[in-house]
Amino acid sequence: MSLEEYRTDMETCRRCSPCKFIPFEKVTGFDHVNVCPSIAKYEFHSYSGGGRMVMGTALLEKRLNYTPKLQEIIYNCHMCGGCDTSCKYSMDMEVIEPINEIRIEAVESGHSNPALDKVINNLRKNGTMVPGAKAKRGDWARDLNLRDFTKEKVDVIFHAGCQTSFNPDMWKLAQGTAGLLQKAGVNFGIGGASELCCGGRAFQMGYKTDFMKQAESHMAAIKKSGVKTLVTGCAECYFAFKVLYDRFNLKGDLEILHTSEYLARLIKEGRLRPNKNVDITVTYHDPCHLGRQGEPYIHWEGKEVIDKVRTFDPPKERRRGTHGVYDPPRDVLKSIPGLKLIEMERIKEYAWCCGSGGGVTYSNPEFASWTGVERIKEAEQTGAGAIATACPWCVRQFKEAVSRKGSHLKVYDIVELLEKAV
Amino acid sequence: MALKRDFYKALEDILGPEYVSDDPAITETYAFPVRKGIAVTPRFEAITLPNSTEQVQAAIKLCNKYEVQYKASSTGWLYSDPWGPNCVKIDLRRMNKIIEINEKSLYAVVEPYVVGGQLQAECMKRGLNCNLTGAGANCSALPMAAHVNLGHLSQSGSYGERNLLALEWVTPDGEIVRLGSLGSIDEWFCGDGPGPSLRGIVRGNTTPLGGLGVYTKAAQKLYPWPGPSTFPMEGISPKYKPAYVPPGFLVRYFSFKDLDTMIDAVLKIGEAEIATELMCFNAAMMASNMATKNMEEEIEIYNKFRDSVLGPGFMVLIAANSAGDFEYKKQVLQIIIDELQGKPLPEVEDPENQGGYIWRYVRETGSIKETGRVLAPSAGMVGGGDCLPLMSYFIKSCSKVKEQYIKDGLLFDDGTAPFLQSTEHGHMGHGEVLSRISVKAKDPAAVGNQINDASNRIAITEHFGVPQHVWSDTLHDLYGPHASNYHLWLRKIKKTFDPNGASESGNYITVKE
Repeated sequence: MSLEEYRTDMETCRRCSPCKFIPFEKVTGFDHVNVCPSIAKYEFHSYSGGGRMVMGTALLEKRLNYTPKLQEIIYNCHMCGGCDTSCKYSMDMEVIEPINEIRIEAVESGHSNPALDKVINNLRKNGTMVPGAKAKRGDWARDLNLRDFTKEKVDVIFHAGCQTSFNPDMWKLAQGTAGLLQKAGVNFGIGGASELCCGGRAFQMGYKTDFMKQAESHMAAIKKSGVKTLVTGCAECYFAFKVLYDRFNLKGDLEILHTSEYLARLIKEGRLRPNKNVDITVTYHDPCHLGRQGEPYIHWEGKEVIDKVRTFDPPKERRRGTHGVYDPPRDVLKSIPGLKLIEMERIKEYAWCCGSGGGVTYSNPEFASWTGVERIKEAEQTGAGAIATACPWCVRQFKEAVSRKGSHLKVYDIVELLEKAV
Repeated sequence: MALKRDFYKALEDILGPEYVSDDPAITETYAFPVRKGIAVTPRFEAITLPNSTEQVQAAIKLCNKYEVQYKASSTGWLYSDPWGPNCVKIDLRRMNKIIEINEKSLYAVVEPYVVGGQLQAECMKRGLNCNLTGAGANCSALPMAAHVNLGHLSQSGSYGERNLLALEWVTPDGEIVRLGSLGSIDEWFCGDGPGPSLRGIVRGNTTPLGGLGVYTKAAQKLYPWPGPSTFPMEGISPKYKPAYVPPGFLVRYFSFKDLDTMIDAVLKIGEAEIATELMCFNAAMMASNMATKNMEEEIEIYNKFRDSVLGPGFMVLIAANSAGDFEYKKQVLQIIIDELQGKPLPEVEDPENQGGYIWRYVRETGSIKETGRVLAPSAGMVGGGDCLPLMSYFIKSCSKVKEQYIKDGLLFDDGTAPFLQSTEHGHMGHGEVLSRISVKAKDPAAVGNQINDASNRIAITEHFGVPQHVWSDTLHDLYGPHASNYHLWLRKIKKTFDPNGASESGNYITVKE
C-alpha cells in the first residue's frame, strides 16, 4: 500500500472529530473522554486523526512541504490506533494505516526523525530496538537451560522481544513466563542469542524496508524450525507477528499467541493451577497493540463498485478493534485467588495509550512521559494498589510515570502476578 | 497573505507561543477535508488556542487594531473555514469546562468545547438531560455553537434558540457583554432578564455561525431524565448492546401509506405529548444507524427495511417516568398508530436491537452513521423551521423535487420524502431535503446546488418563510425582500456591532451594501 492508495479513505473524513474521543456510547462523565494523546497534549486539530487525514491529502497534492512543524506533528503520535477505532464506530475508512503511510513516505523521502534514525541505525547495527543496551540478547535466559528452537525440536517458540531481552529490569517477565511454561509442561524453545527483532516498531516509525528485512529473516528462521506456534509477551511483537506479517503475506499458518492468551488457555486446560493467594487490588491496562490493534489482519482483494453508492466486491470488512485481545489477560488476573480487578474508565478498545508507542519514547520522551502519567492518574482514581498490563514497553513506561508522578501504584506484568499464584 | 510580525508576536504574547501557529502544517490541516477535484478554499493565516474569555477578548481587540479578521469555532464540523484571506482562526478547544450544573433551577453552564456527550453524561448522573445537536454527541454542548441546535431530543427537549439562557459574549470589536440575568445579578438562570436581552440579535433564526464575535460561555435549560445514570452498554465497538433495556423505555419505527398520514401521526403524537424523541428518519437512515460491519451489511439491512415499510415513516422513542406513565404512553401510541394504520418495523422492536437503538438515539451517536455512511444522505439541503404543519407542507412540496432527481438518476433512491421532525411536541417543526447524491453524478456539487435552488424557490414562491439554513449574503439577499427586508436590518446589526468588519462572516451576513 502507499499513501495514494489511501486517498479515498482520507477524503472520506468529515471532520466530525470522534477520532479525538472515546466512542460516545461509552462516555459516562466529563472526565476521561479523550482517546488521542496527541491532540489532547498539543491541542491543534492537526495532531488528531482527522487533521492527519487532511495532512495526507495535502501531501499527495503537494500543498504541504516537510517543514520542521510538519515533521514534529508526524512523529508526535503514539500510533496507538485510538483514533482509528473511534472513527470506525461510525465510518468506513482507514485512519491509522494512512497515518502510518505518512510516516513511511516521510522516511522514504528523506524526512525522517533524527532520534528515530538513531534507533534504526542501532537495529541495523546491533539488531535491537533498545538503543544503548548493555545486555546481550538471550542473557535473560542464561543459566535457565532452555531449549533453542533453532537447534531442537519444540512445539512452541517463546519470543521475548527487544525490550524484555535488552532491559535487565524486564528479564523477570521472560524468566517468569519460561517458568510458567515449564510448570505447565509445555515443550517450548527460545531464540536466545539468535532471536531477532520483529521489526514492528520500525514499521510504525516509518522504516518499512527495515521492517521487511526483519520480518523476512524472522520468518525464514521460524519456517526452518517447523514450529507451528509462537508465543510472545510483548504486545508490539504480537502485533507485528499477527497483523503485520500477515498483512505482508509472511505469516503463513504460524499460530501467534500472546502470553496472556496462552496462559489463559493453560489455566483453562488445568495445566496451570493458580492456588496461592495474591491479596492485591489491581487495575488492568490494555496495551494498544494487544487490544484494539491486536485483532487479526483482514485480507481483501477485489474491486470498488461504483453505482449510485460505492460498494466493494467482495464486501470489504474492516478492522474496527472489535476482535482485539481483551478477555484473556483479564481471565488470567481473575484466575488468581485473592486478586481483585477494578476497571479504569477507558478500557479495551478505547483504552488510553501508555505512551511508549510509535517511537515517541525516543523522539519526544517528554510527550511519552506525559501520556503515561495521564494513565497513571486514571489508574489511581480506581483505588487500586497496582496497575497490571501485558507488555514490557507499557511496564517500562508506567514505571517511569509512577516515579515521575510520585504515585503509590505498583506496576506489574500479568505474568508476575500469575507467577506468585502458581 | 502573511500576517504582520508584530501582530503575530502580540498574539503570542497574549496566548503563549505554543498556542499560536501560522505554520502551513497547522493551517492547512484545519481546512475542511479536501476532495479530489474540488477547489481549494482559502486557509486561515494562523490558528490560535485561547483558554479564557479574557484571552479571546485580547485576541479580538488585537485583530480589530491590525485589521485582521478572525473566525471562532469549537468542535468545528461545518462553517469553520474562512471565506477569504487575512483571517485567523480562534479555536476554542481549550475552553472546555462545565461551569455549573444547577439541579434546582435546571440549567447547565458550559464553555464552548464541552461536547454534548460530556454534558449529557454529567446531567444523567443527576437525573437530568440536555438537548444535543442532531449532529451528535461529538459536537459542542454550547447552545450557541451548533447552529440551530435541533436534535433527536428536540421533541421533548426543544432546541438552541429556546434553550438558551444567560450568555457571555465577546462582541466583534472585543467588548465582553453578559446577557440575561448574568448581566445584572451574576446568575445564569434567564436569557432575557433581569438584565439586557439581545437574544434576537446574538442568535436570530439560526446563529451567526462565527460571524458576530465569540460566545464564550452559555447556560441552557435542562430536562428531567427518567433513565439510569449510565446506560448499561456492553460489548466492543461498534457492536455495543445494552445488558438490558431499562424499564420505561421503548423505541419503535412506523411507516405509513403516504406522507399526509405520516404527518397526521406526527401531529397526534405531539398533541398527546408522549414521545421523548420523534424523528422522521427513512428506512435507509434506520439501516445506517444499525449497521456495524460494512456497507454491504448496511445495504442488506436497508433492502430488508425497504421491502417492509409502507412509505414514509418515523422513529419514536418513549422514556417514561413511571410504570403507569409507560403503560399510558404505550397505549396512546398504539391507538394513534392503529387509527392511522402505521406499520411497525419488527427489526427495531427486536429486544436485541431495541436497546442499541434507544441508546444511540438518546446519546445521538448514530448521527454520523445516519448522515455519513454509504446510504446516508450526503446532502442536507434547505432546511425550514416554523410551525410543524407549515413545515409539513414545505416538505411535501420539496418531496416533488427529490422524486424528480431520483427519477433522473441523480440521487440514491431511499424510497421516501424529505426529512421532517417535530420539536416541543409538535409546537414547532423542521424540514430538510436530506438526500444522497449519486456517486455516478458527473457534477455532484451542481446537483446539490440545483436541489438547493429548487428548495429555495419553493420556500419563496409558496411562502414558507425563511429557512434555518440561510448562511450567506447570497441567501439572505435572496430571502430578505420576501420577508420584511430583514436582511437590511441584519446587515445593520452586523455593521453596528462590528464596525471594523473583524468578525469574519461569510456564513452570516457581511456589511456589503
